Amino acid sequence: MLGRIFNNIIRKKQARPLENLMADQKTPRASWLADGKEKEILPGAFRQSVRIRHVDAGSCNACEWECTALTNPVYDIQRFGVDFVASPRHADILLVTGPVSAAMANALKKTWTATPGPKIVIACGDCARDGGIYKGSYAVTDGADKIVPVDAFIPGCPPKPSVIASNIVQIVKALSKIK
Amino acid sequence: MAENEIYRDVTSEEFPAECSRLFAGGNGRLRLMFGADLRETGEGFCVYAVFSRPQEDRFEILRLKNIGEKGGALEFHSITPKVPAAHWYERQIADMLGIVPLGHPDLHPLVLHGLYPKGVYPLRRDISPAEIKRQLDLSKEDLSPFMEVKGEGIYEIPVGPVHAGIIEPGHFRFSAVGETIYYLDPRLFYTHKGVEKHFEQLGFVNGVKLAERISGVSSFSHSTAYCMALERMAGTTLPVRASAIRTLLLEMERLYNHIGDIGNMCAGTGFAVGYARGASLKEKIMALNEQLTGSRYLRGVNIPGGVAVDALRDPAGMLQEIEGITEEYKSFIEFLTDSVSHVERLENAGALARDIALSLGATGVAARASGINDDLRTAHPHLYYNQLIFETHTRMKGDVFARMMLRADEVGCTIAIIRSILHKAKGKRLEGNIASENWEAPHGAQALGYVEGPRGSVFYFVKSGADGAPLRVKPRAASFCNWPLMPFAVHGNIVPDFPLINKSFNLSYSGSDA
Repeated sequence: MLGRIFNNIIRKKQARPLENLMADQKTPRASWLADGKEKEILPGAFRQSVRIRHVDAGSCNACEWECTALTNPVYDIQRFGVDFVASPRHADILLVTGPVSAAMANALKKTWTATPGPKIVIACGDCARDGGIYKGSYAVTDGADKIVPVDAFIPGCPPKPSVIASNIVQIVKALSKIK
Repeated sequence: MAENEIYRDVTSEEFPAECSRLFAGGNGRLRLMFGADLRETGEGFCVYAVFSRPQEDRFEILRLKNIGEKGGALEFHSITPKVPAAHWYERQIADMLGIVPLGHPDLHPLVLHGLYPKGVYPLRRDISPAEIKRQLDLSKEDLSPFMEVKGEGIYEIPVGPVHAGIIEPGHFRFSAVGETIYYLDPRLFYTHKGVEKHFEQLGFVNGVKLAERISGVSSFSHSTAYCMALERMAGTTLPVRASAIRTLLLEMERLYNHIGDIGNMCAGTGFAVGYARGASLKEKIMALNEQLTGSRYLRGVNIPGGVAVDALRDPAGMLQEIEGITEEYKSFIEFLTDSVSHVERLENAGALARDIALSLGATGVAARASGINDDLRTAHPHLYYNQLIFETHTRMKGDVFARMMLRADEVGCTIAIIRSILHKAKGKRLEGNIASENWEAPHGAQALGYVEGPRGSVFYFVKSGADGAPLRVKPRAASFCNWPLMPFAVHGNIVPDFPLINKSFNLSYSGSDA
């Protein structure tokens, strides 16, 4: 038993290679970054390793399961130096999901304030971009950028784990101007 | 309106007694309760309560109409003292419509947090979403007090709404003595998105997309229950192939949820290998979903009148995939039950007593693991279920282990159902259209839709106006019934077991908050 576990750990038998993940990425680069963000950021602020604090701001929970799937043995996002952390104090990236329900607006703002700079805010999923299907409802604010400054978007409802993984890697590279 | 729905108007005096009779101390089931603003059809403010009995495929729908007409107060006699399962429903009615349940033992806001203005009732038809939004004060904190427990050595642990893991938001206030939880006061509805009113804005057909997005991993249950309500309202007959496809995909949803949940419970005990194996297996099923329908969450499949994707294109290929998953699942379950340290943590943790589950109206795995034999697939046969032979399961103990093993039992049953449908499709016994002719909304009609989702029963009530537009759409997720059970299940357990107990119920915040 133990032998098999170590074998799996060493060989990463199940994990899909990065090129394979990139193949699922169909979105052209221009659509990830929010307007005017290319110029602002942070040459060299982030290298290969970033820590993410995820904030559910009223999502239906599909985006959360896809983010959770990122840490399973198939996607295993930790091997790219990316990991989820428990506190905003430890985070480089805020990953916001959901259309930002009115009751979560305050909590999202506080989480953003608690994250030390330099930081990247990514709106993950169609809801977080502009409210998605919930746009126009009385209880949502129609997108994360109404509450916190958003640097980049990941499209999809929900975006597949491979799309989230490859987008995060590319967004970090683009924003900190890593070649 | 379908045959098994019996609508009856009652007077405000009769209402509590009739509800109490139908509930019969927990032997009847309160399936759904909601209010409606039907002033434009001359029925005024209404309160509906839907009951059914075990072994009887019949829904008794009681209605109080014209509440507060002729200048009377907008109130009705609360049924909660007799029917405890109604307590959240009645608070919801008070919040959303301003109809007050007189004599409710614990009446304070449930859905609407402090940032919503007083005296604004979102479900009233004469206030627009934009107007409500204009009056919100997003900077306002919710300062309503929590239940306070006093005594020597009792201290409070506040958790949330932003949690440490990748999960949904909600606030939990523990009152603990040492490590032991004495009382848990959950505050939810942080993800309230105004779904019920939004259905009225979107129209019936676009509503399918919204129903799919009420609760992520129950997308297909919600869209099926919603479409079923639309079809029953219009009297549409579902082609047999469409009904088989829906049944197949409902079971696929149950399969990935149950296996995922069994795996997630390992995260609650710190059993990393078990968690990783569960997650890999779930990933395989999600990939199979995508291969079948183009969506990992089975979205975009249901349409009113049938399905848009023929998921039975290749039954032979899918049978093979299912064989592979079954083999892997069997070895996974053996591996878990062989692990003494894991099983020991599950046994006796988070026990939910049968009488509490009955009176609070528990549904799904939570109810069946506490000895309540309630499964809509056999209680109210729908779709293709009445043409299949399968057994439903119950377990008596109501602890975390019972909920895990009940899921394991049900996975076996689910795999049998999937196989049986695939074999029929392979033998060309399910040929035909996948959708009936164009579905059109009838005028002034109403109906219920329901399915047994992975977390429990999902109900929808739909009612169209004189113009065929939605007048009232009421979704009820399984978790709405099960959240109130949590304080009882965690009482007397240690704080570190809370995540484990929570995972064993696998409740949806978004579905319940709607």
